[in-house]
Amino acid sequence: MSAPLIWIVFPVLGAVLLWALRKNLPRMILGGMALTLVLLLCALFMPIEQPTRFLGRTYLIQSTIEFLGRRLVIENTDRSFLALMYGMLFFWLIGAQAARTHFLFISFSLAMTAFLIAARAVQPSLYAALLIEMAVLLSIPMLMPPGRPYGQGLLRFLIFQTLGVPFILLAGWALGQVEINPTNAQLTHLAMILMGFGLAFWLAIFPFYTWLPQIMEETHPYTSGFLFLFYSSTVLFLGVGFLNQFPWLRNTPVLYEVMQWMGVVMIATAGVWAAFQNDLSRLFGYGMIVETGFSLLALSLNSHLGDQLFASMFLTRCITYGLWSLSLSVMLQKVRSTRFEDISGLLNVLPYASIGLAVASLSIAGLPLLGQFPIRLALMEEISRQAQGSGVAVLVGSVGMLFSVFRALSVLSRGSGMVTWQRQNETRMQITLLVLGTLGLLIIGILPQLFFPFSFSLFSAYPHLP
Amino acid sequence: MPESLSLGAVIVLALTAAFLLINQNWRWGVIALSVQYLAVFLLVLQEWSLGLAAIKLITGWMAGTIIGISHSAAEQDERPPYSAQIFRLLAAGMVGLLAWATAPLLASFLPVKLIICQGAIILVGMGLLQLGMYTRPLRVAIGLLTALSGFELLYAGLESSILVVGLLAGIDLGLAWVAAYLVTMNPAMLDQPRQP
Repeated sequence: MSAPLIWIVFPVLGAVLLWALRKNLPRMILGGMALTLVLLLCALFMPIEQPTRFLGRTYLIQSTIEFLGRRLVIENTDRSFLALMYGMLFFWLIGAQAARTHFLFISFSLAMTAFLIAARAVQPSLYAALLIEMAVLLSIPMLMPPGRPYGQGLLRFLIFQTLGVPFILLAGWALGQVEINPTNAQLTHLAMILMGFGLAFWLAIFPFYTWLPQIMEETHPYTSGFLFLFYSSTVLFLGVGFLNQFPWLRNTPVLYEVMQWMGVVMIATAGVWAAFQNDLSRLFGYGMIVETGFSLLALSLNSHLGDQLFASMFLTRCITYGLWSLSLSVMLQKVRSTRFEDISGLLNVLPYASIGLAVASLSIAGLPLLGQFPIRLALMEEISRQAQGSGVAVLVGSVGMLFSVFRALSVLSRGSGMVTWQRQNETRMQITLLVLGTLGLLIIGILPQLFFPFSFSLFSAYPHLP
Repeated sequence: MPESLSLGAVIVLALTAAFLLINQNWRWGVIALSVQYLAVFLLVLQEWSLGLAAIKLITGWMAGTIIGISHSAAEQDERPPYSAQIFRLLAAGMVGLLAWATAPLLASFLPVKLIICQGAIILVGMGLLQLGMYTRPLRVAIGLLTALSGFELLYAGLESSILVVGLLAGIDLGLAWVAAYLVTMNPAMLDQPRQP
């Protein structure tokens, strides 16, 4: 038995088998949750390349599988990443019923996760581009189930993600050439520029992020929230993997300057644009751009603290995105769209969803006592110490985001004559999940030291980073 | 392969790509896409074995078939004004000039023949033009397939792994399938009565 077989091949087969349960959505979700939980527990407790005793027998999980002359490698240090991916998927599947997702979501989310893990595991790592594109293609039916009209955001998503593939593949070739001939400065610059463009297309980095608010507006928020969380997590870790793999790359100071600049521009522009939005779904899209910007800022610190902050973001990000997208999904079960004119006074009708959305969006805006605040505080302190201008720009973006959230809250709480809360509009399951998500963000915000250290092991797979 | 045949293939690439940009008849469009893949096959043959290069040709034709089948069921052709067609033709001419001017620079960076660089830049440029000018899924898919063909032409000189060839073929087919899916699963299409 090998690790890629367990965490890549079996989930794909599981996704195909789950398809057979499509007539019964609750069973399909339960099946998906059971499989994901098993994979999560295996990632947490099953060491790779070390003999393990289980039910009286000794097993050895091999790390490598050969496929058409290339290798898929999952080492023991990668188990944290596996646990992160399957943990997030389990978390997301819990809310699938409450969010009333299409049955395609269950199978395709599992298959997509397996492909993203394959992208992280394939060696040489440049082949990741092709597997990521496969995951993108798989995500289209999930985003646009039959009967739902396509929009320009989806087409732009497809275009930008596909255009990223050639850049990463050519960057992979150039990186290989630089290793052979490290003194060739021209080739070094070419590799960095190609990789920069490829990652910018994939991660929706400025100026290639226009599709993100659009796609949030056009698709089911729970599905698009899942997609961007998983997709950006994988691509960010691929980028970290490149830094770990190539010494000349991580020793290039200009790379960190560019990364910091891009992060600052993303936060500032997305925050300012968010302030002018009149749609909660688009606001969610801008919130995601701000989050990616903060990830880039954390990496740009090129320090142990930066790496820790980068890793810590994933726990709160998963809960925030989950809470925000579930709240939007619950709202969309009652209203036509999430535009401000349609959600006016919704706090009275859907109190839990409105409060969940408020807490999630305020957390992304960096409000004190919520999940994202401790990370934002530490990051802004560090950035301001390095470059005061950048610190001010990040602050402007955060204020813009906060302003947009307060605008949304004023619309949600606008008086429409109703004074009593109508709890019956939300199901018990929806209320439970929304309350748990809200409490989760509050508890993490108050006691970050209890939760964040669990994320630090994500960097054990990257020994060359600070 | 004789130099004249390579040059002929690049000329065919330029003509088919320009035709795809201005043409509105889907039948001729699918034929042009098929001819384009034939020209790509001839150029790729300079770097890869016949068997490996044939994968590109067959995949391209299959993608064209998928697009053709869904197109016939879905989208109506519309004739744009002559001014728009002239503008597209001029833009295509600019891409041709760009390819002629920048191919030597690209060939100095990459260990790829000049003629292949020219073909690749033409395809990538025309593909990007299509992506910028059209917003319907099938046209977007044709644009992406054209741009990817250009890249694959370039990449053939750098990498000949079977896994890469297979995955790129899978992506080409996947793009065509996604475009067909978006068109045929559109509510407007689902409401239409099925043809016997």
